[in-house]
Amino acid sequence: MEPIIELHNVSYKYPNGPKALDNVSFTINHGEKIALVGPNGAGKSTLLLMFNGMLKPDSGEILFNGKKLTYDREALREIRRRVGFVFQNPDTQTIAPTVYQDVAFGPVNLGMSRDEVRTVVFDALNDTGLAGFERRPIHQLSGGEKKRAAMAGILAMNPDVLVFDEPTSALDPAGSEDIMELLDEMQVNGKTIIISTHDVELAYPWADRVLLIKGGTVLLAGKPGDVFYNKDLVRSCKLSMPVLLELYEGLSEKGMPQIEKLPKSALDFITYLCENCGLQRKEEKTCGDIYLADVEHTSPEIVQNLLASGSIAAVGAMGTKAKTFAGNGNICPEFTYGVIDKCVLKAINKKNTLILTSGGMFARVHTRVEAFNQEYDQHIRVIENF
Amino acid sequence: MYYEFLENVAQNNHLRDIHSVIKLVFGLGCILIAISSQSIIVPLLIIAITMFATLVLAKINLKFYLMLLTVPLGFAVISVLVIIFLRNSGTTLLSIPVFDWFNIVVSTGSLNEGLLIFSRVFAGMCSLFFVALTTPVTELFTTAAKCRIPHEFIDLAMLIYRFIFTLIEQAAQIHASQVMRLGYGSAKEGINSYGMMAGSLFINTWIAGENLMMAMDCRCYDGKFALNADDLRFSPALMAGVIALLAGLIVIAVYTRGFILFGA
Repeated sequence: MEPIIELHNVSYKYPNGPKALDNVSFTINHGEKIALVGPNGAGKSTLLLMFNGMLKPDSGEILFNGKKLTYDREALREIRRRVGFVFQNPDTQTIAPTVYQDVAFGPVNLGMSRDEVRTVVFDALNDTGLAGFERRPIHQLSGGEKKRAAMAGILAMNPDVLVFDEPTSALDPAGSEDIMELLDEMQVNGKTIIISTHDVELAYPWADRVLLIKGGTVLLAGKPGDVFYNKDLVRSCKLSMPVLLELYEGLSEKGMPQIEKLPKSALDFITYLCENCGLQRKEEKTCGDIYLADVEHTSPEIVQNLLASGSIAAVGAMGTKAKTFAGNGNICPEFTYGVIDKCVLKAINKKNTLILTSGGMFARVHTRVEAFNQEYDQHIRVIENF
Repeated sequence: MYYEFLENVAQNNHLRDIHSVIKLVFGLGCILIAISSQSIIVPLLIIAITMFATLVLAKINLKFYLMLLTVPLGFAVISVLVIIFLRNSGTTLLSIPVFDWFNIVVSTGSLNEGLLIFSRVFAGMCSLFFVALTTPVTELFTTAAKCRIPHEFIDLAMLIYRFIFTLIEQAAQIHASQVMRLGYGSAKEGINSYGMMAGSLFINTWIAGENLMMAMDCRCYDGKFALNADDLRFSPALMAGVIALLAGLIVIAVYTRGFILFGA
């Protein structure tokens, strides 16, 4: 993996303040999903503002794509185009009166032509599920919609890295799930995603790597399981262990056989329990099927027909396009987040499910199900033609 | 906290997709014709037309509309009463003695004049509300840019527009939190709380300004503000219709300029 952002011994001190960052070094690779986790005032936001040159380190250096960051006007413009920053409070970020104008803000300043601006804005609004909101004034949007508008404004500039400060703060659970899935979608489309959060439940299943930050230093960087299973460290950072790990720990103490890999999702855990703790007889290997529909190449009628046949127990919609498709076709998806896992879970319970998705997410269903089949010796089929 | 802003109503009206230039020409034309009209006929026609356009075509809520109208019309009624009772010309219709040396007199002339002024005000208000309720400010920015208004003014107006609502929301929140903690119990406390609110709003505004700079920097601000994609279709036929209507009103105004209700 190629590094995209490297920090070498970065320190920073706010004027008249304590040291906000103290000798921080780490590397972020292309296409990674990174979560910066730490208590309030740990220096997460300060660190994030380093990535696009909003703050200049007092000492140490930052490399972007192997090149040292400089702080002259042109270089700053370039880095800010490449590294998109989404503020915690969307009211800070949204500047213009209407959604269209706000999303077009970046592209216009990058000097794109009218037609180009139009195209990128409509694409960004489509990707964030805000199609049809162009003329709406920002102040009439709900919290979640504002957040999406802020994201669209950054996406329209087509950055390589997206930095989110607390992407799900002040959102309802459904709203945060939507946003997290949007982040997944962006990552599938080749972006590197960095978020800061103190929501461990959110960071644990989502992140590829977690950086635990406290007092301006990186205490530990590694796979989410390794970081969060370190009980004392997690507690010293005023965080809590993800419920899944707590459950695992409790059951291990009760004598449950150890798993070589920590359970990353409810699905992992349930399959493990089924396999090893006698919840399901071993010889039962028949499972349900997963139907997979690409919403860009199918019509609501076909899906309706499939649903009418009565063999589908649940429908999952993955991605913004799929959700729009479901909304237009009057299909009410049961799952909108963690869709693959939930459908696999249904499948091992011998129920059939349908996943609506599109683009890069499509291939992911195959790889995830295949990986699952191999790991647990299951035979879940993914059916595309129906 | 929810406030019914004219702007919010305008954002959802059913004439939103009509090009704002057409609506502006119609509204402003009606105002000009109404206030320069010499008889009450044309203003009455304009009232009927604009009310129809606002209530039936734009589907503005009747109750809300009437509530809006009561404010200016209330003032108009009072002023017109003063004119009717104090001006004096033509034959006397009514005379109320107040003191030995002072009668309140209503005459045909004063009545005609009062009614004319009232009808003009009424028609003007109806036309103005038509514009206000069917043309959201967000559309006006594009129109203003087309009228070659310097973009510095438009950019500033857009920023102000965006932050008016943020400011109102914050003021409402601070006010609510003060009321909850009994900040307006007595007049003295009320003044104190109000001052505190103003103070914290000032500080918040300052911070918001700094944040705005940061947000604009983060998004590569280079002195440019985007305008709405100009995707409202300009219908020449509708524009011609509006102009024909206005011309018709002018013709009627000229022919009926001598009309009076009371006396000759």
